[in-house]
Amino acid sequence: MLNFESVSRVYDDGTKAVNNVSLHIKAGEFCVLLGPSGAGKSTLMNMVNGVVEPSSGSINIGDLVLTKQNKSKIQRRIGMIHQQLHLVPRLSVLHNVLAGLLPNVGLLRSLLKSFSSEDQRRACQLLDEVGMEEKHLLRRASDLSGGQQQRVAIARAFIPNPEVVLADEPVASLDPAMSRSVLQSLKTAAQHRGATVICTLHQLDYALEFADRIIALRKGEIFFDGHPSKLDKITQDELYALAQSQPVSLEQEAA
Amino acid sequence: MNSQSEQPRHWREWELHRAVTSKNLVILFFVFIVLSFSAHNTELDKAAVETSKAVLSVVGVGESQVLDGAARFVGKAFPIQISERTPVNRLNEFDRNNLPLFSYIESGEEKDYDALTDTWTVESTEFLVQPIGYLKKVIIKMWETIEMGFWGTIICIMISLPLGILASKNYTPHRFVYSFTRVWLSFHRSLPELIVALILVLMYGFGPIAGVLALAIHTSGVLGKFFADEIENAPPGPQLALSSTGASSFKVLRYAVFPHVYPAWIAYVQYIFERNIRTATVLGIVGAGGIGMELKGRWDVFDYDHVATILLIIFLTVILLEVISQKLRKHAL
Repeated sequence: MLNFESVSRVYDDGTKAVNNVSLHIKAGEFCVLLGPSGAGKSTLMNMVNGVVEPSSGSINIGDLVLTKQNKSKIQRRIGMIHQQLHLVPRLSVLHNVLAGLLPNVGLLRSLLKSFSSEDQRRACQLLDEVGMEEKHLLRRASDLSGGQQQRVAIARAFIPNPEVVLADEPVASLDPAMSRSVLQSLKTAAQHRGATVICTLHQLDYALEFADRIIALRKGEIFFDGHPSKLDKITQDELYALAQSQPVSLEQEAA
Repeated sequence: MNSQSEQPRHWREWELHRAVTSKNLVILFFVFIVLSFSAHNTELDKAAVETSKAVLSVVGVGESQVLDGAARFVGKAFPIQISERTPVNRLNEFDRNNLPLFSYIESGEEKDYDALTDTWTVESTEFLVQPIGYLKKVIIKMWETIEMGFWGTIICIMISLPLGILASKNYTPHRFVYSFTRVWLSFHRSLPELIVALILVLMYGFGPIAGVLALAIHTSGVLGKFFADEIENAPPGPQLALSSTGASSFKVLRYAVFPHVYPAWIAYVQYIFERNIRTATVLGIVGAGGIGMELKGRWDVFDYDHVATILLIIFLTVILLEVISQKLRKHAL
């Protein structure tokens, strides 16, 4: 489904953010990327999204190889949940979700904010699925709590029926109970649609609880890849230590 | 190196801050000279002299040109004129038995000036007096002025919205278009309404069209630049999120930028509207329609009592406008 073939990325300042990574991710898998800041998680995600280009190696989704030319084609098959969410604060919850459909909506319809009732129903269904209630539908996104905003962001990522959803630290700013519930919503929404999820996390506990597959990175290289149950005690401790550790230097942070 | 090797001084010997230094005094002296020249150029010295004379004259010492001027206006301005008095023989369709509401007929003398023989003829005639006739006329003119301001603002938005988008760095189709529209907008800004109105009166003739277009041209330069700056300063996050789904830049503009800049735009359009009405009141002086035309006409024939009515209505309108837009602003945000 999503394949990385010996992908590397070297930044202009010489930092090797990702070093010779090969990955084969099956359709419908819930993958969690683990690793300290600067391990290359964000770079890996941004390469799938077309924001960062690999220095060498190739990435393909299904039969589509990621190149500059078909970047927009790829983008339409990917949903993205950003760490800072990037909802439009003054837009209603409904329209924030529908904004995910913009590439497929006609110019006049999008200008007048007149989405078909079919599209609106889909947005409602998704919002219900991620645990939002009807009373929030027409509220401004800025009036919502952090957890609710996160759910709206998930709904927006899923509404164009993407094959792959990239979630960058989706629970970074939430308390543990809310984090679990949001991750559960994310997982359910993905399962219902058979979408592949790649999600970066800082907390090993959540990864163990939700992931179908854990991919741990260290200094741009994979040092664990497999089902959470295969994670032995030693690797677990090592992962805990990594998750606790602070970024070693500013360059690594930037990477 | 040097400073390290020196012995630190005792705090009693530390150099203290001095507010008045010889350098400051020299600078002040030169500033004073330059400002004095400039003040003389703008006749500020004369203003000081004349104002002092006026003050002295009030307490009974000497005479004042300033006070005379004021007295000439005030003496004729009050009581203000709100009725309309027309000689009956000048009315085309006059029906003695069917007078307009509240009006009555009054007999009096009409003075007529004959420029050829330089003589005044006085004949007694009847006048139709409409008690609030002139006030009504001024209010209708004021309404026309408000309409001028309104349409000036609408046309201004129609010009400045597309130009504003083209002149914003992140949504302009090309760097060249960006620079061109920026220059174009500042060109619009640099044209004062009165001068544009003068030219437009030549082109379109006397009347409100010239005023409306003059307002639109000047204020579109102001509003367009503001639109563009607001678009440039919109938070990049939501724009990135939407454009990464593959949405075109027009749609990103519509969904991630417009909702954000909307309140600021509304507030600014409101300000432009208010300002346009205030400006529209004077545009009539060059013949571009509105209440200014009436004002200029009455001023030129020294009908200061009529002028006083016009000024009162303008004053009341501006206050009313301010109150309404304050309320609206609270409502919109």
